[in-house]
Amino acid sequence: MNEIGLLVQRLLDETTKTSVGLFVPELVLSGTIVAMLLCRILPLLWRVPAQWIALLGAFTAFAWTLCQFDQLVGGTLQAKEIFTGLLMFDQFATFFRMFLCLFLILTITLTVLSGIPDREDGPDFYTLLLGATLGMMIMASANHLLMVFLGVEMASVPSYAMVGFLKGRKKSSEAALKYVVYGAGAAGVMLYGISLLAGLTGTGSLPEIGHRLSLIVSQGAGIGDPIVRTIVLASLMVLVGLAFKLSVFPFHFWCPDVFEGAAAEVAGFLSVASKAGAFALLVRFGLAFSGGSAAVSEIAFALGIGIGVLAAAAATFGNLSAYGQTNIKRMLAYSTIAHAGYMLMAVSALMVMKYSKHGGAESTAVTLSCIEGLIYYLFVYLFMNLGAFAIVALVRNQIFSEEIDDYNGLATQCPLLCFCMALCIFSLIGLPPMGGFFAKLVIFASVFKATSVHWAMWFVLGAGAINTVFGLFYYIRILKAMYLKPRPDGARKVSYDLMPVGLFVLMICLPTLGLGVLPARFTETFNNVASVLLTGR
Amino acid sequence: MESLGNTLANLLTIAWLLPLFGFVVQILFALRWWGRKSKTAAYLAIFCIGAGFVCSSTAFYLWGEGTDWAVFKPSEHGHVEQADAGGADHATAGRDDPEHKITSHESEKQAVFAGPLYTLATFGNLHVSLDYYIDSLTLAMFVMVTLIATCIHIFATGYMAEELVDDYVDHQVHTHDGGHFHRPGRFYKFFSYMSLFCFAMLGLVLAGNIFQVFIFWELVGICSYLLIGFYVERHSASTAANKAFIVNRVGDFGFIIGLMILWTSFGTFSFADQHGTNGKVQPGLFSMARGHDGELTKTADGKTVVLKTEQDGHGHWEAPAEPSHQKTITYTLLIVAGLGVFGGCVGKSAQFPLQTWLPDAMEGPTPVSALVHSATMVAAGVYLAGRFYPMFVPEVLLTIAYVGCITAFVGATIAIVATDIKKVLAYSTISQLGYMMLGLGVGGWGAGLFHLITHACFKSLMFLCSGSVIAGCHHEQEMTKMGGLLRKMPITALTMLAGVIAIAGLAIPGTSIAFSGYHSKDAILATALAYTKLNPIHFLLFVVPLLTAGITSFYMFRLWFYTFLGKPRDQHLHEHVHESPWEMTGPLLLLAVLAAGCAIGGEDGRLFKMLTFSEPVGVGHGVDGAAAHTVSLPGHAAVHESHSTAGSAALLAAFIGMSISYLVYGKGVINPADIKRQAASVHAFLANKWGFDDLYDVMFVKPAHVVAKFAAAIDKFVFDEILHTFVRMGIAVSKWDRKFDEGVIDGIVNLMGNSTYSLGISLRNVQTGKIRQYVTFIAVSVVTLFVLLFALYPKG
Repeated sequence: MNEIGLLVQRLLDETTKTSVGLFVPELVLSGTIVAMLLCRILPLLWRVPAQWIALLGAFTAFAWTLCQFDQLVGGTLQAKEIFTGLLMFDQFATFFRMFLCLFLILTITLTVLSGIPDREDGPDFYTLLLGATLGMMIMASANHLLMVFLGVEMASVPSYAMVGFLKGRKKSSEAALKYVVYGAGAAGVMLYGISLLAGLTGTGSLPEIGHRLSLIVSQGAGIGDPIVRTIVLASLMVLVGLAFKLSVFPFHFWCPDVFEGAAAEVAGFLSVASKAGAFALLVRFGLAFSGGSAAVSEIAFALGIGIGVLAAAAATFGNLSAYGQTNIKRMLAYSTIAHAGYMLMAVSALMVMKYSKHGGAESTAVTLSCIEGLIYYLFVYLFMNLGAFAIVALVRNQIFSEEIDDYNGLATQCPLLCFCMALCIFSLIGLPPMGGFFAKLVIFASVFKATSVHWAMWFVLGAGAINTVFGLFYYIRILKAMYLKPRPDGARKVSYDLMPVGLFVLMICLPTLGLGVLPARFTETFNNVASVLLTGR
Repeated sequence: MESLGNTLANLLTIAWLLPLFGFVVQILFALRWWGRKSKTAAYLAIFCIGAGFVCSSTAFYLWGEGTDWAVFKPSEHGHVEQADAGGADHATAGRDDPEHKITSHESEKQAVFAGPLYTLATFGNLHVSLDYYIDSLTLAMFVMVTLIATCIHIFATGYMAEELVDDYVDHQVHTHDGGHFHRPGRFYKFFSYMSLFCFAMLGLVLAGNIFQVFIFWELVGICSYLLIGFYVERHSASTAANKAFIVNRVGDFGFIIGLMILWTSFGTFSFADQHGTNGKVQPGLFSMARGHDGELTKTADGKTVVLKTEQDGHGHWEAPAEPSHQKTITYTLLIVAGLGVFGGCVGKSAQFPLQTWLPDAMEGPTPVSALVHSATMVAAGVYLAGRFYPMFVPEVLLTIAYVGCITAFVGATIAIVATDIKKVLAYSTISQLGYMMLGLGVGGWGAGLFHLITHACFKSLMFLCSGSVIAGCHHEQEMTKMGGLLRKMPITALTMLAGVIAIAGLAIPGTSIAFSGYHSKDAILATALAYTKLNPIHFLLFVVPLLTAGITSFYMFRLWFYTFLGKPRDQHLHEHVHESPWEMTGPLLLLAVLAAGCAIGGEDGRLFKMLTFSEPVGVGHGVDGAAAHTVSLPGHAAVHESHSTAGSAALLAAFIGMSISYLVYGKGVINPADIKRQAASVHAFLANKWGFDDLYDVMFVKPAHVVAKFAAAIDKFVFDEILHTFVRMGIAVSKWDRKFDEGVIDGIVNLMGNSTYSLGISLRNVQTGKIRQYVTFIAVSVVTLFVLLFALYPKG
């Protein structure tokens, strides 16, 4: 046995004995994809409906992640780096994987109910959906710059195809093309940033970066120092790639066009799932600077302020741009930009508190509440945004329109859908006692704490507060159309089955209320996830 | 034993909730389903309360079986005590030997069951819950209330039958044009209120914490209000309902103060110990105050009471030795708390000085007077005083005794001159309630509650009899117009006689063959005598009740002679009198049997044993005042010694009262009019009810009116003026404001709205839709951000 052989042996051992076992949910999804494609190839299996295979796979993966999460909380499983440190297996990652699987289940159910991929295209569509989810799960557990890029691309490429899935619709194809080109541009910038970082530090492993950077950055070096300058630029470029996925201003241009062109189900999926994956990745990347010297912390601190400014800009831009929209999906696209801004505020506050010079017990508590708020917000966002898009999809199936004006007087015909829409919208606005209010509250509270560290956070907080008011106007327009305007004569009648459809919508929308009314149990879990990520306990 | 407790709780809960069910059905659906002319509502009410009686009896039987009928076995403890000699010696002996009592108690099976039924709310440490507390007293009250309520419900189906019409003419209400008031009949409503009352009353008895008692306390109050004001169109009825309600609030004010003190100092409302979910036992009020030996633990200076919050090895509650762990309450505060809760009892049980509402409450239909205002609700005050007995310190008990004593005397004297048949009974009720309070106050726990039960039987009987008479006489209530009804309504007359004998306390001398009232009154008087022997300074507590016993006998026989004997005073009325139908006489017969026989055996009888089985620890051996207390309380043995003396004296008084009554009203030897003339001032004083109503009128009502008028005037001439000025100013300002608003504010808001909106619209222009531009923006944005960061980077 030579050394290489020993190394290979150890690699094999590590992979087969630990890593693969913890990677099962992803493998299940891959297997499901293979199974669906197999069914498409073999004429005998043509009759097997793809959605049920997809649903089965999604359920299995969800159950598995749930078990993993439970074991992690219970202490039976230990957090560890897997695949030689390429991926991280911990509570934070597992929580997001679980979250994504849950969301996958809900999305598949929605597509089954709204019937967007027909029988013929079903396997293709679900293959793309599962593939994208797989990429996002990798984003959530990425522990290496390589995996950061791979994850983002794995999530993006199937999304491009999904956006263009409505064959024969010009807008859809155009949106897909824009998405691809824009995505390619953003990926290029990100890859450049990654290579700069890797070149500077000599490693791709995220937890190592902080330590390595402190070796090359001299104490007290300002922005005049070329190394610092390079680090800032590189980090900025990596952030661009993530900002693209988050559709944060000014990297949001694809978003309205894509959402308008894609089917509402796909738009709903992209708006929630890719954000969840990207935020998980962003938090990891943000925490990668920890453990470094004071100079490194200073860089990260500046980045945190920068993110805060971006967040404020995104929220303001998203809300203001939504004013003039007449297409409801386009309006919701801008609304997702704004919400990305709110959530980004939490990340900004996290980095500012984490890397401030006056750290301490109190700042740890604030960073905890930042992550807790982010997770809480994402969790509420899942229900309220998916709910809104689901209703848009279901209404589209009936009136064949996504223009807000065509929603006039809808409340008289489908009170349940309109009530659920109202729930989602109140939650999106952030009115108490909806979940959206409490989520915003937690985030704003941590931003407020961060104002004690840097004055710029006042600006962020002010932008957040003002935007909550801005948001009111355009969201209310939907309700006004549905409830106050009369249904025009001769408008198409809306009818749907109460049993599966109504129940599903209610099931998605009621949690927006429930998460506001009984947050204690959830916040406990969120808090636990956050504290394990930050303090290891 | 857990399962027995659950079974009992379930049975009693069913008995408690059935009337609620009845109430809901009657109030919501009776009119719709059965109409005004149907008796179905009454049958439903009777079924509910009757089933409640069955449940209660079953519960009692199961409880007896579960405790091996220990309740009726001869008490060894009692024999030991009787063998002892000397009252004061004896009290000491009892205290020196607490172990004896404990072991004899613990060798028996569990007889008290307590637990939670439903938690209403939790505020921090405060659990507001519905609990149950079941001991022999609870069971006795349940059986008594359900049985008597059933009888009265049946009676009421006959008595209220005239309400079974669509157009009821109320002859006592005159309209402006001289006619009578017409309204739809309210038969179903009467029974729905009665059902609600039964629910509330049973809930009060079942309650396992003082707060729950308070809830149902108020609920019976509201039922009483509704039922007194049943003939709401009669001015006297609505006034009486208000009076009852307001006077009761005065007492409840004290109750609430007591509750606040208890909660602040004890931190719990529960009577019994509570088993928490974590396996820890929280001491209840009684354990905290009295522990297992019935003694208060005081600090050296005697001004502070240490609460017993720790369990020792035997499971006995003890005061913690460590001062820092001690929970304390000052002795004065404990007195105030006791007086506060007793204040509630004073209001509800119509004790001096809040007794004035009860006679007026007779405006309600007679079955209501029988159930609510004699047998149950007014006895609730006595019940609570008994239930809460462990929390009362000797000073409070002394107050209770004097209040009871005064009430008994005042009530009895007014009853001598009352001529309205129901008013006589009302004053006699006040007087008898005073007896009960007196009994409790002088340390006769069993005696007071004994009288409660017997009184419930004979007084409800007499009220129903009076109801029968009133119905027979076409709603004539003045005794001066009756007379000679014995022939016309024999069943009513004879059953009434049974009640009269019972309340007068007559017996065959030398034996213990007597109706129920004799036994219970005897028990109270014996305790009072023993009390005055220990505390000679309080001799009035025996003399006055003894005198009252004579007076009672006198006025009760006066009532009977007036009504049923002699010549008819109003011939016209007499001709139309008829005996009541069976549904009214049936309950009379049953109640007559109860009134005569419910206390058979006296203090060796089953009823008394049943009650005293739940006697609070420490009552049995009395309290020696020499040590620390201001008064001493007699133990069982001391009471036993006084028995023959007190019994003979009471009997003598009763016979004297009866004889005088016979001479004056039966035989006519002395003309009552002569006495009235000779003692005109006394008569006027009594007829004026000792002037209480006038006094309160001058003291409270008139001042309240003056204050109200003054307040109204201030309101009208000062505040209204100020307000009007403000309004005028406001209008002037708002005119200006409108101009400002429309011109400036709206302008600014519109400007802001428009500018944000147009900014939003203009932002659309950024979104050109051109892909080339988008990608360029990526590069531009990155560079811009970098420059921004470069510019803003903290220069260090």
